Amino acid sequence: MEKVAIIGIGITPFKARYLDKTYFELAYDATKLALEDANKQGAEITHKDLQSTVYGIYNELFERQFMPDIFINSYIGMNNKPGTRIASGGATGGYTVRMAYAEVASGLSDLCLCLGVEKCNDCYDIQTGTTTPEVLNAIAYSADMTYEYPMGMMAASSYVSMVNAHFEEFGSPTEEQMALVSVKNHGNAINNPKAQSPMKITVEDVMNSRIICYPFKMLDCCLYSEASAALILANEEKVKELKIDNPIWITGVAAANTDCFIGNREDMGRLYSNIYAAKAAYKMAGLDYNKIKEQIDVAELHDAFSGQEVISYEELGFVPFGEGGKWIEEGGPMIDGELPCCPCGGLIGCGHAVGATGIMSTGEAALQLRGDAGKHQIIIEKGRGLAHSIGGPGAAYAAIIIMENQEAKK
Amino acid sequence: MEFQAHQIKDILKIDYRYTMGGQSKFFIELMNNKKLLGTKCTKCGKIWMPPRINCSECYEPAEWVEMKQTGTIEVSTIVWYTTSAFIKAIPYGIGFIRLDGADTAMLQGIFSENLIPSKVKKGKKVRAVFQKEREGKMTDFFFVPEDEYESWIIKPEYEGGSE
Repeated sequence: MEKVAIIGIGITPFKARYLDKTYFELAYDATKLALEDANKQGAEITHKDLQSTVYGIYNELFERQFMPDIFINSYIGMNNKPGTRIASGGATGGYTVRMAYAEVASGLSDLCLCLGVEKCNDCYDIQTGTTTPEVLNAIAYSADMTYEYPMGMMAASSYVSMVNAHFEEFGSPTEEQMALVSVKNHGNAINNPKAQSPMKITVEDVMNSRIICYPFKMLDCCLYSEASAALILANEEKVKELKIDNPIWITGVAAANTDCFIGNREDMGRLYSNIYAAKAAYKMAGLDYNKIKEQIDVAELHDAFSGQEVISYEELGFVPFGEGGKWIEEGGPMIDGELPCCPCGGLIGCGHAVGATGIMSTGEAALQLRGDAGKHQIIIEKGRGLAHSIGGPGAAYAAIIIMENQEAKK
Repeated sequence: MEFQAHQIKDILKIDYRYTMGGQSKFFIELMNNKKLLGTKCTKCGKIWMPPRINCSECYEPAEWVEMKQTGTIEVSTIVWYTTSAFIKAIPYGIGFIRLDGADTAMLQGIFSENLIPSKVKKGKKVRAVFQKEREGKMTDFFFVPEDEYESWIIKPEYEGGSE
């Protein structure tokens, strides 16, 4: 397999709504930003040099367009080249990075565009004059339509089932421990100019916010967002040919799908997909599941809901099962902690533009490794980072990307 | 000058008459006889509920078996904010119920006269209550705490099961 590097990163601001842009216009903006970034790293390329695109777009109902990828393909000037769309719920971004990696690693492309976009807030409930319940309805169609959608299942009730089962088993995460994730991620977002929800808040603010789905409160949940994110991936020969100063190598990619029916799972309080994907990605990168916390500098986790971030600390091997809540109480995942988690603000701080999210998380971890994260830059010592995506019915999809800046390590 | 956006109101709508395929018997028995049918793998004996007519683990057929209408809550939540399709129903309880004898748990509504987290907690025993007017859909039944069963089945719109 070819070695694969991220040589360009483009992320648009995450916003509640872009009245001035369609989804394909947003995708164009991120592509242009990624090309500009690659050229800042030493390349001299345009979209004409990109040989293929892998698109991450979750939901046709958001975009009000089936096969939205082909319309983006036209708008970003990629006609007569291969374009493949990935749709894996909230994990769409991570899965898209994985497939773009495969596009380059396999030798099919030397330069590949990995492009995610979502524009959810055109959904609008005309009867009540509200947006969010209609966005949630468009998402709820991802639940099993026969057995689960008719019961009023939706994203929050799906995640909360796992968190409640985890709490029954371990007595953690408590509501206060979950609230700490919200405080951390809203707080981290203050230093990220692209984030939708920067806020200085307290545990009490989270505890007092309106109940959504017991025990999740409003501030435990990410907001749905509109944005696009793009990465340009290159093989080693291209990295050399283009004289890229600071390539971020993708050293591990893995994904797994657990049973989408939570009721079929032996343990309802954990996502085996996270565990399998993490172990496989670490193995590919030559890292150790039991020592991973000491081997990486940064983790961009999928904190769609605060409680799941706490459980992810355990599933991804940062701490033993049942100890995620204690770890955040001790400050472990804080921006100045043992292993900063979501220094950009994550989904709770930035917003969740589904198809773009995992690509933004990967791009953010890469920016950290490059030393280009701006005001939310953390200290890089080991030169390695991780991005994590989960989603879909019962959060069945999981993807993990490991990145490395080999210059930083020297 | 401020950007002027042009917005168009629209609805996407598709009508269906979708078949439940091999699972049809579950919905027919639910509608006509208030029975809850699961399936049992002819090889490993695993009991699937919701039913599937093939065992996903053994790749062998699974046979229909009538399930008990009592079970245990594995995990639950109470929903206070939701989708446009369900917002009028809040607050509502939902949870994964393992019917007695089943190897898997099914998502269902949990109704209670006193819908508080402790009432619909893991480990609570529940029993199925049926709509009098049934259409052969999952909404034809729901679960109530076992100690509330008698008070639910005397309501005019509901009735007890086949047991």
